[in-house]
Amino acid sequence: MSPRYGMVVDLNRCVGCQTCAIACKHANDTPPGVQWRRVLDVERGTYPDVERLFLVTGCQHCAEPPCVPVCPTGATRQRADGLVTMDYDTCIGCGYCAVACPYQARTIAHDTGWYYGEPTAQEARVAHDERVGVANKCTFCVERVDEAAALGLTPGVDLEYTPACAASCIAQALHFGDFADPDSNVSRLASDNASFQMHAELGTDPQIRYLYDVPNATPGRPAEAADTSDAAMSDSENPLVGPRQTFWDARAAMNFTLGGLSGGAMAVAGLAALFGMLGAEALVEIYLVAAVLMAAGLFFVFLEIGRKLRFLYVLLRPQSSWMTRETYAVAVLYPALALDVLWPHPALHAAVALAGAAFLYCQARILFAGKGIPAWRAPSMPWLIALSGLLEGAGAVAFLIKVMGTGAAAGAAWAIVALSLATGVLWQRYRRTAAARGIGPLARAEIDAVAPLVTVFGHAAPALLCLAGLAIAGPLSAWAIGLGGVLAVAGGALWKFTVITRASHQQGFAVPMMPTRGSGTRAAPPRLEPI
Amino acid sequence: MTGTAPKIADRKKVPVYCYQCVAGPDLMKVEVEDGIATRIESNYDIADRHPGGGRVCVKAYGLIQKTYNPNRVAQPMKRTNPKKGRDEDPGFVPISWDEALDIVAAKMRGIREQGVADEQGLPRLAASFGGGGTPTQYMGTFPAFLSAWGPVDLGFGGGQGVKCYHSEHLYGELWHRAFIVSPDTPYCNYVINCGNNVEASGGVAGVWRQADARVRGLKRVQVEPHLSITGAMSAEWLPIRPKTDAAFLFALIHRILIERDWREVCDFEFISNDTTSPYLVGPNGYYLREPETGKPLVRDLADGRDKPFDGAIAEPALEGAYRVPGIEKGPDGAVWTHDDAEARPAFQLLLDHVRGFTPEWAEAECDVPAERIRRVADEYLAHALVGETIEIEGRTLPFRPVAVMLGKGVNNGWGGYQTCWARTLLAALVGALEVPGGTLGTAVKLNRPAYNRHLTVRSQGDGIMDYPFNPTTREDWSAKPHIRNAYRTLVPLAADSAWSPALGPAHLPWLFQKKLPDAWPEQAKPAMWINYRTNPAISSWNAPEVAERIAEFPFTVSFAYTRDETNHMADILLPEATDLESLQLIQIGSTKFTEQFWTHQGWAVRQPVADPVVDCRDITWIATELARRVGILEGYNAAINRGAAGARLADEKAGYDFSLDVAEPHPVEAVWDAVAKAASHDLTGGEEVHGIDWFRENGFMLRPFPQLDWYLYPTLKEQGLRFEMPYQERLMRHGAELAERLHEIGVNWWDRQLDEYEPLPGYKPFPDIWANFASEVGEDPDSYPLWALTARSMQYSWGANVGIPLINEVANNIAGHKGVIVNRATARKLGIADGDRVAIESPTGITRGRAVLREGIRPDTVLMIGQFDHWATPFAKDLDLPSLNSLTALSLSLTDGTGSGADLARVRLSRDAG
Repeated sequence: MSPRYGMVVDLNRCVGCQTCAIACKHANDTPPGVQWRRVLDVERGTYPDVERLFLVTGCQHCAEPPCVPVCPTGATRQRADGLVTMDYDTCIGCGYCAVACPYQARTIAHDTGWYYGEPTAQEARVAHDERVGVANKCTFCVERVDEAAALGLTPGVDLEYTPACAASCIAQALHFGDFADPDSNVSRLASDNASFQMHAELGTDPQIRYLYDVPNATPGRPAEAADTSDAAMSDSENPLVGPRQTFWDARAAMNFTLGGLSGGAMAVAGLAALFGMLGAEALVEIYLVAAVLMAAGLFFVFLEIGRKLRFLYVLLRPQSSWMTRETYAVAVLYPALALDVLWPHPALHAAVALAGAAFLYCQARILFAGKGIPAWRAPSMPWLIALSGLLEGAGAVAFLIKVMGTGAAAGAAWAIVALSLATGVLWQRYRRTAAARGIGPLARAEIDAVAPLVTVFGHAAPALLCLAGLAIAGPLSAWAIGLGGVLAVAGGALWKFTVITRASHQQGFAVPMMPTRGSGTRAAPPRLEPI
Repeated sequence: MTGTAPKIADRKKVPVYCYQCVAGPDLMKVEVEDGIATRIESNYDIADRHPGGGRVCVKAYGLIQKTYNPNRVAQPMKRTNPKKGRDEDPGFVPISWDEALDIVAAKMRGIREQGVADEQGLPRLAASFGGGGTPTQYMGTFPAFLSAWGPVDLGFGGGQGVKCYHSEHLYGELWHRAFIVSPDTPYCNYVINCGNNVEASGGVAGVWRQADARVRGLKRVQVEPHLSITGAMSAEWLPIRPKTDAAFLFALIHRILIERDWREVCDFEFISNDTTSPYLVGPNGYYLREPETGKPLVRDLADGRDKPFDGAIAEPALEGAYRVPGIEKGPDGAVWTHDDAEARPAFQLLLDHVRGFTPEWAEAECDVPAERIRRVADEYLAHALVGETIEIEGRTLPFRPVAVMLGKGVNNGWGGYQTCWARTLLAALVGALEVPGGTLGTAVKLNRPAYNRHLTVRSQGDGIMDYPFNPTTREDWSAKPHIRNAYRTLVPLAADSAWSPALGPAHLPWLFQKKLPDAWPEQAKPAMWINYRTNPAISSWNAPEVAERIAEFPFTVSFAYTRDETNHMADILLPEATDLESLQLIQIGSTKFTEQFWTHQGWAVRQPVADPVVDCRDITWIATELARRVGILEGYNAAINRGAAGARLADEKAGYDFSLDVAEPHPVEAVWDAVAKAASHDLTGGEEVHGIDWFRENGFMLRPFPQLDWYLYPTLKEQGLRFEMPYQERLMRHGAELAERLHEIGVNWWDRQLDEYEPLPGYKPFPDIWANFASEVGEDPDSYPLWALTARSMQYSWGANVGIPLINEVANNIAGHKGVIVNRATARKLGIADGDRVAIESPTGITRGRAVLREGIRPDTVLMIGQFDHWATPFAKDLDLPSLNSLTALSLSLTDGTGSGADLARVRLSRDAG
């Protein structure tokens, strides 16, 4: 039977000394600011009822790792023994795994970085050029695990062949071993003590188990979860609060904006052409504009990735990665579009519309698979991306029709009305359920800040302008519909930029059970009845 | 490169030790590739014999970066700017080792020609070393140089007195040979911990043992103003008002002795037979003694007779008052003869003494609810298991798994006597002193021999242990200070060992250099001051003022790692080889510091692991060269032969002689080869003799150390001795004599300190001492409404780690490393937000930094971790971190009778306008 490696962290032992963190930095030669093993200082309560604990974090080597399927290259994989591995030579540094991880385990360092500005002899000696610009994370010191296997030794027991953090721990708080072996150190600790898995509700089945209970000899009060009230989670200094992700910035948002509206526009235009609602000339114009915008969006993504020369590796994971699939959609879309421009045909209209919609759908799934970002993984997110993309596409179509004066925009107007309504409803639902979906107060504040603008100008105004355009005649009609279209596009851009770059706080850390210790009313109860 | 390190089995790993803090040593291995030290890991070879599982802590991993730090002083330097001061550029220029040593040696020869002591009898050469004796683990044969030199003033402090467990060192050695006091953590079940941050300061062994105890079921109640790392790991936190711990502890004693039935809950046998509780005290406060023998008397209730303490006493009286004939021996030979004196057992006096210290009284004083005080006392009693025994290595001993721990701010300065006494008494009341599970000492530094605390147990004659008090009698008192801190003159308890100069009020030289007190002999500045692995200009209390004093020294030689605030004032910088660059053998094991309780003892090696990075030299080479150039080579080699490098090189009885030819300078390797052979011979009785090469290959050598030696109680029993608790007759006598002596020479400025020599320590409102200090410097006490405290940073402490970015990076994961910790509600009131720049002002200083808002701190307290405020040390000077050392005051009124202060200050806090 294959082993299943994992760790047990005893919260009653860890004193936050940082020995594991620094031992990891030594063993793995990580550059400044990169800590694969990190220990946080967590406080709960209000003076004088306060508890404090030290929370060991890092890659959880999940049994169901969200980072693995999203990877478009196959650089991140899961081995039979449970280790989630990184192939630095394959990774393109797109950051997808990093936003998919709910444990803030991954980093991308875009340059080597030296502690004193210039490399010391030792730093130069242990520098890892292959890790620059690609995703990094805890490997469970995989080379130790593998060398142990080759020598018949047991990682977690034979200290030189144990992950550096666990081997170095001065409190015996960190234990590494094989959960598949019921007699292993970690299995025994996990079965003999109460424990929790962090974010178990996300279905990741993380392979770090946290012990929190005190032994019977010290009767503790019932364990309670760490404070996750809005007040507590609004404090950006609170280590449990996830910071805003920095992996996908405005360049990624540009792809979602330009790609969304162009994919939407292709879908809407192809469909309109199929039903004879759009002239050939207008169709070509719209196709060309959309194709350029989509290419521009993709170029922004190219600018975002850490290893640009490897960009074609993005094609390697169609079996699971929506990023790969998005690329394949592009690969279908552009030839179909070219053919449709050269030899217009209803079948090609349909093909373009389908490929545009598929591209849009891929985008919707890409963001939704970013499980590390609560604002992205909300169930309404894929629908919101898809519908908004169609709305933006219809808006773009309406605008282009007006600009080019190539025909009546009534169809686009009706589409805008309908899609505004649907997107608007979905947007409201997204906002209303945000807190319940685990989107923290900091992210919600960002969303709330733009929500009125999105609702008024991105949803209500386009619908009303289009209705007005449909109701009136003359040149003003096309103007109203065209303006409605522009606003729909702008509204889409606004919320996407907000959600992707501003409200994109990473999943924070959770302590579902604080160890039973503290002060004031949170202190462990007396061991004695009153004398 | 692609970062493909060799296979683990093929890696070159060099064994060395880490002794960067007093909690060491821990053993590690350094991985080396092509002459470059690349990584550090624990030396797992010793995992099953080291009390911390053979691990090293976070600090050890900073040593690689410490070695390759580009800011190192790369070769000897000479000052070119004769003006000294913080704002003066020293104008250091590089010189050769030859030139540097010639300059220093010429200066030293000049001193020797003048005389090693000046007209006042004070040493012309002074030297200061970093904290807690750790420098000796790095300074090779430099002690031999000092020994060959003659008198050296080792009394200029770097922060001791507030940064060490000062009162505990003195009283601990007096009462139970405990320079450091520790719970018997592997057996203890209940700890009342007043502010000891053992989880951050106890080193690897401390963290390891405490964690084991915690999951085993030890309950710890942490009593401290802020929720430290240790508080975080405790079952309960009682946020006490600073400097009122004595009130809390006194109330625990009150609960036990007055409110509970002490005969039922205390260890009656222990109190009666193993302490001086039954000794009768006469009307003048001294023991009532049998006139013929001079032995203290005890009333035997069985026959109603008074007998010498060592007589056949069936039922010693602990309570009551008796009419007894006898003599009292007072100060200066005074003898009072009584035909019929009223005498009370010391224990009765104790009962009377603590009657007023009710939990309600304590609550008003210390802010801990009376009911919680009662509950803690009751839990303590319940866990003490009075009457139970345990077998250790075949011997049955009392088992008392309870202890009280004290932090530095608690046991230092005013109130230190009270807290140390109360802690020791709490142990004695339940028989938990120096027995398994209870309160133990770990090492001796004042009593001799230093290598074995049991051999220091000798009878003083009154049924208690002897103690090497500095004499206070008219004949033997040291009226004239022999070094500038005057420990022999002012502090009888400081004793007179090699450690005493560093303990004696080590801040007084700085204070006296600024302004000499009345009726005190003139003190010329030392002609030469050497500083080694210490930075008093940052680490001392009132560091800015100490920096000014350092600037006044005429000639300073600094062993320099990087530029820093102290060597900024130096005349010569000598870049000594650092931790991974030099060779030394040290003793490890037995018992020492807080939690280093080994079942082995032996020797470990430190050695150069990699190619040299800068032109630094091994300190043993430097010492040898200096000795040769100064002309004291013979004395130097003789000192090494006598054991100044750790092991005596010849022992006729043991049958070995590896001594060095005293006439010749010896290479570093040869010196340590001889030490290695002597050490291994001594360790194995000659069965295994290994040279230094063997140690360099194997790292360490051990032999078993009996666990029974952790406990002093059996040794006292064997000698029929008692613990000197609760009554301090000797201290009272020394205090009275010392008062006489000082007044005879016109010294009245030590009077407040003399008040401390009480046989049973009384309570004073200690916080007022710090509050009122503001008035002393012309400030309004009310304008300083907050307390400023400090806490240990495990990541930075002791190791000169402030210039190491790697340490900074990981330390920043722990709250408080980025600024001053302020209670969130207090900050709100002051309009301070998290991360705001704030100014913290005391009556004598100011420091600045960022506010870190937390809930785990009293609203009337702010906290600054570690020691910062650097202005010269590269990297550290850009950290923008505040430091308590910029706020504390050097002052006689803040100095207690043992010569220590407390690391705290009254302050005000504001958003920084500057």
